[in-house]
Amino acid sequence: MKRRPAVVSPSPFRFVLIFVGCLLFAFGALLTPAVQSLDVRFSSALVQLSQGLILGCGGHATRDAAILRAPGGFGVEMRDGCNAINVTVLLWSAVLAFPAPWKMKALGLVAGSAIIQALNLVRFISLFYIGQYSMTWFEFAHAYLWESLLVLDTMVIFWLWVQRTVRPAAATHAGV
Amino acid sequence: MRAFEPQTRFLVRGSVLLIALLTLWWFVLLGPMLYLLRGAAGVFLMIEDAPSSDWTLRVPVDVTLPGTPQQPLPWQLRSIDFEMPRSEAVIFTLSLPVYWAIILAAHGVRRNLRPLLLGTAVMTAIELVLFLGYAHITAADAAAQLAGTEDAAGKWIHHVGVYLDVSVFPYAAPFVVALSLDLELSGEVFALRQARTPGTTAIARRR
Repeated sequence: MKRRPAVVSPSPFRFVLIFVGCLLFAFGALLTPAVQSLDVRFSSALVQLSQGLILGCGGHATRDAAILRAPGGFGVEMRDGCNAINVTVLLWSAVLAFPAPWKMKALGLVAGSAIIQALNLVRFISLFYIGQYSMTWFEFAHAYLWESLLVLDTMVIFWLWVQRTVRPAAATHAGV
Repeated sequence: MRAFEPQTRFLVRGSVLLIALLTLWWFVLLGPMLYLLRGAAGVFLMIEDAPSSDWTLRVPVDVTLPGTPQQPLPWQLRSIDFEMPRSEAVIFTLSLPVYWAIILAAHGVRRNLRPLLLGTAVMTAIELVLFLGYAHITAADAAAQLAGTEDAAGKWIHHVGVYLDVSVFPYAAPFVVALSLDLELSGEVFALRQARTPGTTAIARRR
């Protein structure tokens, strides 16, 4: 039987060190002009996808680069931070800091990012409709509620990934 | 699916509590919390109400500015005043209700009274530090512009500093503090018990 590489309990110091290091490196890189231009293109692609979903479900929306407009004139722009890159960086840093086989880390990074982006599309489309209804609720949902919910989702995604990563390794260790 | 029950339960409870507590914060607690933040920050900075009901912050700096045609001799800049819209200060009160939601979602009030109280104090201190950090970074940025000493690297460092201070830490800090103070939650999230070898656990239990 092929043995899986064992997963060990993370040393808190090592985890925090790698987590903070990855976080600072990623956010530092994110704010360089080269990555910013990629970020803007990524946001435009997400807005295009959102428009496609709205039109596919029978709604109405027009797109101008990273701005999604309603027929009534309301427009919402996906700017830096609205494309869930922030929370993706948090997840990536946590996954990279956790002692696990690289194959499992790759799985966590790809699957976790996909789930976060799917949730962010729901967030963006919901904000598009909330903004047409009330700007006060839009501000509340946009800057505070949805952002906090996304971080909560990210924590749960990480938790699920750890569970999947640790369980088989612990079972292998016990000879199962 | 049973294996994922704790995560599902935490996600559902956390989401409901976040919606409830953030709504309460937005409509009821925000005003008093801004008032307390202003009072606590006032110990370290001078804060006045601007006519527009925004805040005017006076941040101490120590920068020597080069002479100008109007004032030929170099002169010392002791403080920078700038206006901060109240809406920008709101973010520095967000972490507390988010922290409460996480802790209450984890194991309820009774089992988590200690991390709830201790974490409230820690989060309050972090919010204050973030607010003061924002004020100092903004003032340092303005002083560097006035002194003409700001290069591309300095600009980038200020940008990263403000970004982390406003767009990352207020959202991430409650989760980090909750995982640090609620050892039962962090034990579950990091699967500390499962990662140990079963033999070791059995021996530990017998002892």
